[in-house]
Amino acid sequence: MFEYSYIPPAPLLPEILEMMLKIVFIFTMNMGFFAPVLGYVERKQSALMQDRIGANRADLFGVTAGGLLHIMTDAIKLLFKEDFIPRGADKLLHTIAPLIAVVPALIAFTVIPFGGTYVLWGHKVNLVIADLDMGILFIFAVTSLATYGGAIAGWASNNNWSLLGGVRVAAQMFSYEVAMGLSLVGVFMVFGSLRLTEIGMAQENFWHWGIFYQPLGFILFFACALAENKRVPFDVPEAESELIAGYFTEYSGLKFAMFWMAEFLEIVTIAAILTVLFFGGWNIPFVTLQSLVSFFGFLGDTGSQAAAMFLQVAVFWLKVGALIFLQMLIRWSLPRFRYDQVMNLGWKIILPLALLNIFLTGLFILAAN
Amino acid sequence: MPGKYIPVNREAEMTLWEKSYVPEIIRGLIVTASHFFPNFVGVFRAYFTGKTEKRKIMTIYYPEEKPFIPDAYRGRPVLVRNPDGRERCVACGLCEVACPPKCIFIIGAKRKDGTRYPASYNLDGSICIFCGLCEAACPEEAIVMSRQYENLAEYDRGLMLYDKESLLVPAEKLERRLQHIRKRMFGRCTY
Repeated sequence: MFEYSYIPPAPLLPEILEMMLKIVFIFTMNMGFFAPVLGYVERKQSALMQDRIGANRADLFGVTAGGLLHIMTDAIKLLFKEDFIPRGADKLLHTIAPLIAVVPALIAFTVIPFGGTYVLWGHKVNLVIADLDMGILFIFAVTSLATYGGAIAGWASNNNWSLLGGVRVAAQMFSYEVAMGLSLVGVFMVFGSLRLTEIGMAQENFWHWGIFYQPLGFILFFACALAENKRVPFDVPEAESELIAGYFTEYSGLKFAMFWMAEFLEIVTIAAILTVLFFGGWNIPFVTLQSLVSFFGFLGDTGSQAAAMFLQVAVFWLKVGALIFLQMLIRWSLPRFRYDQVMNLGWKIILPLALLNIFLTGLFILAAN
Repeated sequence: MPGKYIPVNREAEMTLWEKSYVPEIIRGLIVTASHFFPNFVGVFRAYFTGKTEKRKIMTIYYPEEKPFIPDAYRGRPVLVRNPDGRERCVACGLCEVACPPKCIFIIGAKRKDGTRYPASYNLDGSICIFCGLCEAACPEEAIVMSRQYENLAEYDRGLMLYDKESLLVPAEKLERRLQHIRKRMFGRCTY
């Protein structure tokens, strides 16, 4: 389907510069923009959905900016809180558990493409940090590491609620990891690749978007991803009414903020994966890269490519934003599942449906050929 | 206002449509989204134009926004001052008798033209229970409940003892309340 011609090895300096810029961009997007802003968005969106006004009291010289300054006050509050380690807790594990939770969420973004391939000043720029040929499997492998963060935090806290939360994290992750992997097999069968850049490129035509090929796969993967992220309706590991705060009951200050950040980064990661696999990635509906480049032709070779790049990257983040909105909407609309319901849904409903989806996809591909 | 009675069948079996779960989730999401988007627009409109009357959000940010006070509200009791500058009160003492916690103290006197007036009219705000019986007892519409609910509490009980001068309010400022009393007393609706 795709042919790669031989590309001579590029000079080293532009290569390093490009890599640095991409890493800095993704890091700022995640840690600098999404992690703090989603805290604000979650409060404000839930408020508006429940006919309240929401956070708007923090002000700087009389300017409240619609409550945006609460981000700053949150950060200051968390910085100056006491870093509390309970008596009898395992100090080392208690300290590294938040790191184990937050690092995979950041690493997973390395293989997600946030733009296509462009030629700038004769240098080929592929907008993904690591273009692995088994990209989505890498994401599965890395995100399941985050489970250890929750489980270890629950174990190391020397607290009954934390331990129960940690056990629930482990059980829930284990249950949904299987169904999550299987629900995406249909997508790989349709696009014939595990490389996320190739999957994104194959969706340049609007009617070839993954959501049209794999509507069932989308719903199953979305449900599994929500369960992996441990948010309502699958938040049994941290169920406030039963387990206080689950595995991070004994955390405070910046360590607590790390769990918080991991949750928000996972929201972004899920939205990005969904965008690449099901919603055409960086592609603008009904507009191909060639037509974009020729539309901006008056800017010259590099200029037109750069303009197309900025537009497509902006569209990618717009789609990610819309999917984040959808996840927040679900989080504030649905009640929590009971624990046995979570297990039933994972093993008895989503897993068989995922297998059925694989079977049907195979049949359709056979019929189409 | 009586609510509408909707019978609920709690033993109802879920239909296949409801059991499939996804369409019902989407229905729920539409409900919450239909609250989110009007409020989202409304908040921005309020932020830029200051129009807050028609928003769905009922929260009132008190010091900046004031709630609507209906005419039937019983705030601080005040004496009515006629346009000619005289108080309406004739010091008959009915409010003093009607007052359940006995917070009104009147000393009556007579003017040179024969009309009566209160030489001193003291109302102890720290005892008053805002029941409005003085207003109901008054034959002259001379003492009415105003809509003032702010600045009633003090750190010193002595400051809450209102004398005649601090109680007197011009009649035109109380027109709505006076109309309301007449409607209540002579209209069909009584409570």
